[in-house]
Amino acid sequence: MHGKRSRNLSFALALLLSLSLTSAGVAADQEIKIGAAYPLSGAIASTGLDCLHGAELAVDIINGKYPDLNLPLAKSEGLPNLGGAKLKLVVADTKGEPRNGQAEAERLVTQEKVVAMIGAYQSSVTKTASQATERLKIPYVCSDSSSPTLTERGLKYFFRVSPHDAIFARDQLQFLKDLEKAKGQKITTIAALYENTEFGSNVGKQILKLAPEFGYKVVADISYAANATDVTSEVGRLINAKPDVLMHASYITDAILFTKTYKEMGFNPKGIMTFAGYIEPGYLPAVKGDGNYMVVRSTFALDLAKNKPLVAKVNALFKKKYGIDMSENAARSFTAPFVLADAINRAKTTEAEAVVKALLATNIPGDQVIYPWKGIQFDPQSHQNIHARGILVQIQNQNYVTVWPFESAAADVIWPFPAWKTRK
Amino acid sequence: MSEQLLAQLINGLLIGCMYSLIAVGLTMIWGVMNIVNFAHADFLMIGMFTSFWLYTLYGVDPLLSIPVCGVLLFLLGWIIYKFVVSKVMTGPALAQVVVTFGVSIFIANAAVFLWSPDFRMIEKPLLQGSWIMGPVRLSIPKAVASIGSIAITLALFLFLRKTKTGKAILAVEMNRSSALLMGINTERVNALSFAIGSSLVGIAGAFLSMYYYIYPQVGGTFGLLSFCIVALGGFGSIEGAFIAGILIGIVQTLGGYYFDPAYKYAIVFALYLVTVWIRPQGLMGW
Amino acid sequence: MKKPTVLQAVFYAALLAALLAFPLVVKGTFPTHVMIMVFLFAMMGVAWNILGGYAAMFSFGQAAFFGIGAYTSTILLMNYNVNPWIGLVAGGVLAALMGAAIGIPCSNLRGHYFAIASIAFAEIVRIHFNNWKFVAAAEGLSLPLLPDSLKNFMFHSSKAPYYYIILVFLLLSVLICWYISTNRMGFYLRAIKESHELAKGMGISFVRYRLYAIMISAFLTAMAGTFYAQYILYIDPESVLILPISVQVVLVAMLGGAGTIIGPVIGAAILLPLSEITRVWLGYKGTGVDMMIYGALIMVISAYQPQGVWGYLTSIRRRAK
Repeated sequence: MHGKRSRNLSFALALLLSLSLTSAGVAADQEIKIGAAYPLSGAIASTGLDCLHGAELAVDIINGKYPDLNLPLAKSEGLPNLGGAKLKLVVADTKGEPRNGQAEAERLVTQEKVVAMIGAYQSSVTKTASQATERLKIPYVCSDSSSPTLTERGLKYFFRVSPHDAIFARDQLQFLKDLEKAKGQKITTIAALYENTEFGSNVGKQILKLAPEFGYKVVADISYAANATDVTSEVGRLINAKPDVLMHASYITDAILFTKTYKEMGFNPKGIMTFAGYIEPGYLPAVKGDGNYMVVRSTFALDLAKNKPLVAKVNALFKKKYGIDMSENAARSFTAPFVLADAINRAKTTEAEAVVKALLATNIPGDQVIYPWKGIQFDPQSHQNIHARGILVQIQNQNYVTVWPFESAAADVIWPFPAWKTRK
Repeated sequence: MSEQLLAQLINGLLIGCMYSLIAVGLTMIWGVMNIVNFAHADFLMIGMFTSFWLYTLYGVDPLLSIPVCGVLLFLLGWIIYKFVVSKVMTGPALAQVVVTFGVSIFIANAAVFLWSPDFRMIEKPLLQGSWIMGPVRLSIPKAVASIGSIAITLALFLFLRKTKTGKAILAVEMNRSSALLMGINTERVNALSFAIGSSLVGIAGAFLSMYYYIYPQVGGTFGLLSFCIVALGGFGSIEGAFIAGILIGIVQTLGGYYFDPAYKYAIVFALYLVTVWIRPQGLMGW
Repeated sequence: MKKPTVLQAVFYAALLAALLAFPLVVKGTFPTHVMIMVFLFAMMGVAWNILGGYAAMFSFGQAAFFGIGAYTSTILLMNYNVNPWIGLVAGGVLAALMGAAIGIPCSNLRGHYFAIASIAFAEIVRIHFNNWKFVAAAEGLSLPLLPDSLKNFMFHSSKAPYYYIILVFLLLSVLICWYISTNRMGFYLRAIKESHELAKGMGISFVRYRLYAIMISAFLTAMAGTFYAQYILYIDPESVLILPISVQVVLVAMLGGAGTIIGPVIGAAILLPLSEITRVWLGYKGTGVDMMIYGALIMVISAYQPQGVWGYLTSIRRRAK
């Protein structure tokens, strides 16, 4: 009897609470709608779907009860400060086109009544989508677009959790410096190879700018079209330049093509440092063992679990839901919903100004994120997470293994890479 | 330096032969029916996926899949001609273009629906690796594909000139109305050429699958280049398409090597514009 | 030119009134956005039609003119603080000149050779812009946000002004197309389309009229490009210079009915909502079903109604009489 009565009481209280909160901007059905725009059709649909899965799992964890997960709002059902209100993702397909980024953001806000936005993946689409939410005064938390320009625009409602390409490029060069110091390697020359859309050319620009600061000489500066059917001329130029290290910013199709061509033409630098394409879920299944030794920038790797048990738990949930291991893309998109939910919960309302204020006050400790970061705190000017940093993983025996920062490493980096003809 | 030049030339030749094989089927359809088949690149993709699934499910090597891809794409071409393209043969010129756009969008997305947008690769084809001859490395699958391309182009050439059916196709290509008067069943010739054109690109897909990644949008750049190759060679000219394919392969590779990789396709397109400015009917057209 | 009947006049007046009232009546920005896209592509379809429908120059390179328009006004605004309306005219003029420059060497090309040449031209423009530092290469340009006003060609609080501007642009294009089709130029273009030799025999300057057609078409398409830049406020080569835009324009004109004044408008009114709606309903599942339906419909319409939807409607009307 006692139990029943207290349940009734708590029900009445919850009802009361929810009624009082309705006026504060939460729908009576206790749903907080979050817009999620991703490229779900077209050439990179598989990547978009991957990102979406990460965000979906995050929403599941926020809405459900996961007492053993040390993530924001995991232990409680929904958002406790809003009467246990649940998050709901309203998903939209951008086809990867900037004009759809704008249109979908507007549709989600005005028609679907979402109170905040996440996603978009491609930086150009995030650009137009976040411009639209800025006009509509709706918070946007991005954790999957990496163009540095996104947080250079001075937008009031836009926040980014994940590191951007300038941070990644600096990480890679820092790694080379650390490598020289720790392993007595000698590195003097670098070749910059990058595809020529927004992403690649931005990375290329950063490498060209930063390499001299680190004391490296750039001996080849090659930009190419990502849709190339054949890249022998690019690799021919690289072979002539004889760099110690190649830095390569690519999407997945060109990453596959270049890997095959390096092998075919016997291009053997001491090491190859790569971005993006080499860590897409499709890369390793396509190239298999030929992908070995590539060093890739990342924010996430499953072996981070060694120092962070949380990673293994989250991955187990992901695998249960989708049947595959969590990829880097899924892991990046995973965090934005937590940051938003945490801010909305502290703001105790979904009203935009209050949420932005709460976002600015965000202080999620490092042990509550699945990356090796000190935490999440936004720069008051740029709204970039000041703790965001990359890690480097190396493909060893067809697995992504964390090799840098050396203190989070799961294995030693193999350097220099063995020449193609000595590999099995 | 000259070693690299030689390596680049050979690679240009190899990729050029692949372009030729893809373009030959297109030029045939174009010549006979005066139709631009915008779904050509998607037929290439279907050929590649066919080879991939035969390998993955039944362990059939892509080399053995070549005839299967040829036959399957022949049938697909025939069906698409009968049920879709033939309906617009008498319509305005551009209706034929639009219809093949529809086919293209449909096939590409049906592939996404059936096989997901993921990337695949045939793991261990029979032919792989390179021959190393001094400074030059020759990719074995690419070399074999090139020989295949030359052989198939030659076979097609002979088929058109030596067999009765081939002669009928050529007659229609030269002059449709006189061919009709001569008692040639032009409708059947249309269907046959569309099917043969599709079959050739299916075979190209099987060759390509030996060394190239496979996904639903894989045809994009190949398709665009093959239109350029066909026009450069002269519409309907088999030997024109063959020569233009190799020419573009070499120009693309050397242009990328000596000038700027980011502009290598711009160089190819500029080559086309300059050529038709001087010779509006293309290299071998009339 | 026969005069429209009373019934037709009433119908067009009612249609225009409905279009004018649309943004005031319909709630939500998304339907307005879809209508803006319809008008934008209808306008480009009409411009294409002057080339492809009347002069039989099947251009698959309209994206080049679209992009040149978008980039010209944006660069003028960002680097030289030139008003976008002046930029609109400048972009149009530049596109027309580019059209003439490419049109002269290509004026001898027939049918498919011209089509491929137009693709080659547009691809060269795209590749160049993608690597050209002066226009920020692949990074693209974000337009500076200026206060709402007609002078600034920028409106943040409502989509209605954009809607009316593009509607006016569309009506202007339709009027120009109508004027051409009823005038000597339209007659000449059709003569050229029917038979090159005949036209030459009649003493029609083949090259000159084809050039006029290209220049007018390029100018209108560039206007659409400036509109796009002012509306989306961000342009990059991937969003304004790519082949799918050119293809979409051809599809719009063809499905509606090439060589008719109103055909492209109808084509756009069918095709764009179709692609938007299938994307919104089915696209988020990421299975490609939305695009399958889209492709199948294009296939069915063009296979079984090759004269375009407008051609079908007029044939029904003719039969009814």
